Amino acid sequence: MGLEFLLGVGVVTALNTVLALLLVLAERFLADYGPCTLALNGEKKITVAGGRDLLATLKDQGVFIPSACGGRGSCGLCKVTVLNGGAPLATELPWLKPDEIARHIRLACQVRVKHDLSLQLPPQWLEIRQYRTTVSSLRDLTHDIKEVRLRLVDPPEIEFKAGQFIQFEVPPYERSDETVYRAYSIASPPSAKNEIELEIRYVPNGICTTYVHRHLRLGDPVTINGPYGDFTLRPGEREIIAIAGGSGMAPLKSILLDMAEKEIARRIRYFFGARALRDLFLLEEMKTLEQRIPGFEFIPALSKPDPMDAWNGETGLVTDVAARYLPDASEAEAYLCGSSFLIQAAIKMLTSKGMPRERIYFDDFG
Amino acid sequence: MKQPPNLQEIQEAMRPGRLSQTGFLGTDPRPLGDILAEDDATVRRLGLSHEALADRMAYFREKGVAGLGVPVDVPPHFEVRVDGVRGRMPCPFRHPGLYPKVFCQVKNLRTRETITFSDLQIHMIGAHGFYEGRGSAYRLEPETLIRVLEVSPAESSFNTPLHEAPGGAPSDSPRE
Amino acid sequence: MIAAFSSWFALFFSAVFTQNILLTNYLGMCPFLGASRELKTSFGLGAAVVLVMTFTTPLNWLLYHSILLPLGLEYLALIAFISLIAAFTQLTELVIMRVSDSLHAALGIFLPLITVNCAILGASLFMVARRYSFLQTTAYGLGGGLGWMLALLAMAGIRQRIAKNRLPRGLEGAGIALIIAGIMAMAFTAFTGMATPA
Repeated sequence: MGLEFLLGVGVVTALNTVLALLLVLAERFLADYGPCTLALNGEKKITVAGGRDLLATLKDQGVFIPSACGGRGSCGLCKVTVLNGGAPLATELPWLKPDEIARHIRLACQVRVKHDLSLQLPPQWLEIRQYRTTVSSLRDLTHDIKEVRLRLVDPPEIEFKAGQFIQFEVPPYERSDETVYRAYSIASPPSAKNEIELEIRYVPNGICTTYVHRHLRLGDPVTINGPYGDFTLRPGEREIIAIAGGSGMAPLKSILLDMAEKEIARRIRYFFGARALRDLFLLEEMKTLEQRIPGFEFIPALSKPDPMDAWNGETGLVTDVAARYLPDASEAEAYLCGSSFLIQAAIKMLTSKGMPRERIYFDDFG
Repeated sequence: MKQPPNLQEIQEAMRPGRLSQTGFLGTDPRPLGDILAEDDATVRRLGLSHEALADRMAYFREKGVAGLGVPVDVPPHFEVRVDGVRGRMPCPFRHPGLYPKVFCQVKNLRTRETITFSDLQIHMIGAHGFYEGRGSAYRLEPETLIRVLEVSPAESSFNTPLHEAPGGAPSDSPRE
Repeated sequence: MIAAFSSWFALFFSAVFTQNILLTNYLGMCPFLGASRELKTSFGLGAAVVLVMTFTTPLNWLLYHSILLPLGLEYLALIAFISLIAAFTQLTELVIMRVSDSLHAALGIFLPLITVNCAILGASLFMVARRYSFLQTTAYGLGGGLGWMLALLAMAGIRQRIAKNRLPRGLEGAGIALIIAGIMAMAFTAFTGMATPA
């Protein structure tokens, strides 16, 4: 009896040992793809351990590719050109147009790194990082715009250009069961590297804005990634016309602070549209900036000031007010930020004043 | 009402995480066909049509656009704000094209009620009679819509030509 | 030789149809109900089961007849079979991953799932209980896998069609699927008489 018992245990142990050994050997010889070299845009070369998907592999190397689903192949955002990666998998096809397939575009989360790969991605992606931050201040600017300051924890500093935006990671909460990302412009100047400021306007039922307005508390951790975008001040001497409304204040505030710090003394007129005095914010900051930048003038326009406001500034739609100030805009350049309707109306107004379309810059939120 | 063949597939597309993060059906356990049928009955009982509601919504949206993101007064006693956020949404009923994420917030200053709807919802109501499922944060109760926007049967002739002609409703439209 | 082949074929045929492991033994029910909503996923899962069953059943035969039986350790069959199936699926996944990304995308995700599929273990236990020879076991493994896949595909096809019908609420999902499985099982017994195992 004892012997039979020992035999049984011995055989099961031996069998499982053999099988485990087989798996270890397989792991060693089949699953080990060795070091692979990833060539980024033909210049930067990084050596990584093969075997995992490209999205995760690059993320470990600090190359952050926009992705909203976390690598499950369900958002279709992590598109990169893989010159020698083979044909796309069936899981990628719904996200790729025929011309993208022809250009060797793949979803990074579906490409397994098994050999050296030659990749092409937008150069600014190489600058994008993920940052862990904590909420260091929350302030109501108006009844529906919140100022959120995020102190950077890891990495502790961010490099960006005034006017760029970041993506804000919203963790799953009662209104959404997935991590989602929303883009917000940075309102603070690039010189403040360890803390960024955002101005977030409440969007009815919006997943991120509801989270920020109703759930976010001081000290909460927030993950962001960025910077993105090319809504930045173009060098030169041209006069600047800025037109914004609502949360469109943020990138322009960053640009203005940057100009003040760098003592760029260009003529700049900033038209800001709101309904009544209670919708205007940062008036003191703008007044200070007018003193710091010699050519700067802040011109708020109220479309319907309250009788209580005792408003003696400009009234009317911001584009109409700006039109009254600008008999000829052909030599100036313009920076627009706000609702897509504001941008459309402003483009129409500016081009009618002779401004060439290519000198009108705005964040394309469409 | 028998569920038309591809209604089930449309219902699948409306689930959370397919076309939109939260989906279109909320916590509504009913088949899409039942949701459409019940709202259709409500709207008919009140002597109106989905097109009339959609036209009224489109009217406010067009008025609101003029504010360029700032609220505007619309006589006699409405305050309307239209704004857009980044992104576009496809129609779950598989209409071609993408609808920009434009939302229109209408405040009825007489009843002190506010409702918000998107461009896609104007389309889904006008072309498909779809008001979203119960428990969806975006659900528009036909009664609320009619009360807040003050749509009356007589007013349904007061169409704005800006709305897409409802004649374009496809064969998969649930309405007989 | 001809007799051997005809017995081989009869066994294969009965494993696919009359003795369908899913419909007569109701083994492998969870994926049958859970992954039968779409033909495409069903095909991937079915193909993975065919692959694993075709190889593990004969491998388990060898294990049983060359180690367990001579040592009088028949009672350890269950545990030994599970170990071998688990190792085989792991190994297969590594091989597939190495060989082809597209095959891995189509099959790979199902392999870890199959490790605990009772139909696969069932086939190994039946081949012992029914005292099949090695050749018969091979036929049985291949036939059993194909039969399971056939039943799964049939179910997925039917469910895709009835997805558009309205059902009493209590019957939606697994309820109606079990009723369909019952009717399918009856239909499959109609193959009896066309061939019976020798």
